[in-house]
Amino acid sequence: MAKHETPLLDQLESGPWPSFVSDLKQQAEVRAKNEAGVEFQMPQDTVEDLLGVLELSYKHGRTHWKHGGIVGVFGYGGGVIGRYCDQPKLFPGVEHFHTMRIAQPCGKYYKTDFLRALTKIWDMRGSGVTNMHGATGDIILLGTITPQLEEIFYELTHNLNQDLGGSGSNLRTPADCLGSSRCQYACYDSNALCHFLTNNYQDELHRPAFPYKFKFKMDACPNGCVASIARSDMSFIGTWRDAIKIDQDAVNKYVENDAAYPANAGAHKGRDWGQFDIEKEVIALCPTKCMKFENKTLKIDNSNCTRCMHCINTMPRALRIGDDRGCSILVGAKAPIVDGAQMGSLLVPFVEVNADNDYEAITEVIENVWDWWMEEGKNRERLGELIMRQGFQKLLEVTGIKAQPQHVAYPRTNPYIFWKEDEVTGGWERDVVEYRKHHLR
Amino acid sequence: MAFVSSGYNPEKPMENRITDIGPRKYDEFYPSVIAKNKGKWSHHEILEPGVMVHVGESGDEVYTVRVGGARLMSTTHINEICDIADKHCDGHVRFTTRNNIEFMVDSKDKVEPLKNDLKSRKFPGGSFKFPIGGTGAGITNIVHTQGWIHCHTPATDGSGTVKATMDVLFEDFQKMRMPAQLRVSMACCLNMCGAVHCSDIAILGYHRKPPMIDHEYLDKLCEIPLAIASCPTAAIKPSKVKLADGTEVKSVEIKNERCMFCGNCYTMCPSLPLADTEGDGIVLMAGGKVSNRISDPKFSKVVVAFIPNEMPRWPSMTDAITKMVNAYANGANKYERLGDWAERIGWEKFFEKCELEFTHHLIDDFRQQAYMSWRQSTQFKF
Amino acid sequence: MSELLSNKEAATQAVVDFMTKKSKNKSKFYFNDFQDIFPDDKLREIKKVVNKMVTDGVLEYWSSGSTTMYGLKGAGKQHGSEGEA
Repeated sequence: MAKHETPLLDQLESGPWPSFVSDLKQQAEVRAKNEAGVEFQMPQDTVEDLLGVLELSYKHGRTHWKHGGIVGVFGYGGGVIGRYCDQPKLFPGVEHFHTMRIAQPCGKYYKTDFLRALTKIWDMRGSGVTNMHGATGDIILLGTITPQLEEIFYELTHNLNQDLGGSGSNLRTPADCLGSSRCQYACYDSNALCHFLTNNYQDELHRPAFPYKFKFKMDACPNGCVASIARSDMSFIGTWRDAIKIDQDAVNKYVENDAAYPANAGAHKGRDWGQFDIEKEVIALCPTKCMKFENKTLKIDNSNCTRCMHCINTMPRALRIGDDRGCSILVGAKAPIVDGAQMGSLLVPFVEVNADNDYEAITEVIENVWDWWMEEGKNRERLGELIMRQGFQKLLEVTGIKAQPQHVAYPRTNPYIFWKEDEVTGGWERDVVEYRKHHLR
Repeated sequence: MAFVSSGYNPEKPMENRITDIGPRKYDEFYPSVIAKNKGKWSHHEILEPGVMVHVGESGDEVYTVRVGGARLMSTTHINEICDIADKHCDGHVRFTTRNNIEFMVDSKDKVEPLKNDLKSRKFPGGSFKFPIGGTGAGITNIVHTQGWIHCHTPATDGSGTVKATMDVLFEDFQKMRMPAQLRVSMACCLNMCGAVHCSDIAILGYHRKPPMIDHEYLDKLCEIPLAIASCPTAAIKPSKVKLADGTEVKSVEIKNERCMFCGNCYTMCPSLPLADTEGDGIVLMAGGKVSNRISDPKFSKVVVAFIPNEMPRWPSMTDAITKMVNAYANGANKYERLGDWAERIGWEKFFEKCELEFTHHLIDDFRQQAYMSWRQSTQFKF
Repeated sequence: MSELLSNKEAATQAVVDFMTKKSKNKSKFYFNDFQDIFPDDKLREIKKVVNKMVTDGVLEYWSSGSTTMYGLKGAGKQHGSEGEA
């Protein structure tokens, strides 16, 4: 029945986890039957050939794809990745099999009418295979042919009010956690900031002029559900400056092991860890030891709190984030290639997240960083590598931010300070003759 | 297959062109209970694995049922998700960063019918279409990259390694018996389109052979200066090569000992393929995290230098992962992440507890940061 | 903006000349290379002009997926090998 035998892939149909092989097979069958009467613009058996070429990779232990340099639709320098099969005779249905990146809505909420309309376009003009979602955050449409790229773009923009995402030396499609839409830990509205920056910087997203990729990610609290601190050049992590709000009655409900107050919001229900013990599970695990529980009262020395979220996560009905909220900005995170992995480094300890003035305090930092990186960054040098090469001090200089102890885990362990001439009284020009009056040769 | 125009006129690409409109605005898609209570949530509780309730200050509740999804997903499957969302959730659905799908309903009585519907749907091969789970102190879905389904430089498959791993970890997707959440991530080569370097457990595809050079075709297909410039370690230089028939062609020479197996040159030049059956396989890393909870975010460490690709189910890889998961589950304190546990007991004990072999490949020798990882102390365990 | 960059025809000619001169070796250029043609201009200004050359059909992009390069439209060896010529 199937066009290609797939004995290796077939072994991935069993087991409880959703089988992508079963899904591809069902898709191949739906296309073959075509009960919906789709006017396919891409070979009808493209998914059969996709299974075939994947089976061949399982047999060989090697990929059968080649890269292509095609970038996007007319006038865009990103949003499309070119792919060609290296066995086009065997698998003509995937000879050309390009990816399109579609900018996801912030928070990744959808209505079904949108998803159905999107799948309708993709069934007709592509393979009907997607990623929900790609690692950066976009909806990924896997597999179409060059002439369909403009057609798909036209339909997306005209009928779905929907644009492509980023690839190449562009701003990549920013991504966020769900934020205040459904989370009481959110220190700012990550959906709103993400959407604003995505739209404000559409030109940077579509028309490449950066040395390399650049990613924004928004985590609305220090729990970091979208991993912004590890994988974005600029990470916006929600935080607050005032006191954690305490409901003492609720604290005591946790202490009393009230069933409506499960520790850690019920996250540990799958195992018997014994009775909740506030001393052991909260007070002792506080990284700064800034908490006390005495006489049924929880006290927090907020000036020594580093907002790690542990106590709040553990007793979410009793403790709430403070009210003086904003975000910290960390910069330079990247995966290991080439110079080794980097975590984001703290650049702005606190900045307001203010939609009313179009987040001007944030865009100012962004644009200062970009101006520097565009001028000084070498080709394919991520921001984190430029900071390493030119120094954190240079980053502070170009962003006009004053050095503060929050910027470091600890001060430097070597005294090799490269003093600048204007930092030293009297400068570097000296009179050796005058010197020799007091120091014989 | 007659061509059907969208309305686009290739002769006049700029005619009626719409550009720079970005994504759809998020709040068009919010379920009404979300729109109403946004920014005013009081607290939440995980009622059982995969099922959460969020309670608003207004007293409104939203119940979320989270299910796992293969991130590689067909339009047929997406339409089935839409059918479920239409039937139970007023046409709303949400995806998570870790490729899970969330169905939300606004009252408790709607939860059981939704769960039963989700549980009842299976693929003909027997796997669940929508397994409920992925919350709290358990193992949620694996974020991963393309692999052999679509990429030109992978050293392993993405979807297959993930399917094999999630099958063996499936019980922990649907339970919450771990000391803390345990995040597994997968990237099919060291370029890490999906960054995995801060995961509790990371599966990483890795090449071990420098590219082959297709001298006869290289100069015809590639621009040599671009191939040279693409190499991050400057291992490629131009050369002249005499072919078997005596003709001299322009080509390149690769300093193999400088190659870090990234495949960037293959991206620029199809005459420099590097995929290899024996050369390619899996690196396992462990102990990273991104949350700021209790301890700082930290990088994952390499704990298994190489495992061959064993299609279709990578049993050596899943064995090593299972050992780590079980040792962690048995040994760590409540709230302790895998990396924090390994640091508390010491990495020498980690290898013992996980029954993993320590080899010289696991000692860092990459640039200056290597020194930071060596032991400068007499405090260690025998 | 420099006189050269603000004069569309002269700027286009300068870009075409620069790329043609180097075309024996390579057909694709990083964005930073435009700084050599317009040394007195801000990169953000250069970007606007260069991207206009793309919509005018003088230049085109080439992408490795992670990086994007610029070249004269139709130039280079890869087009043929990709069957996109």
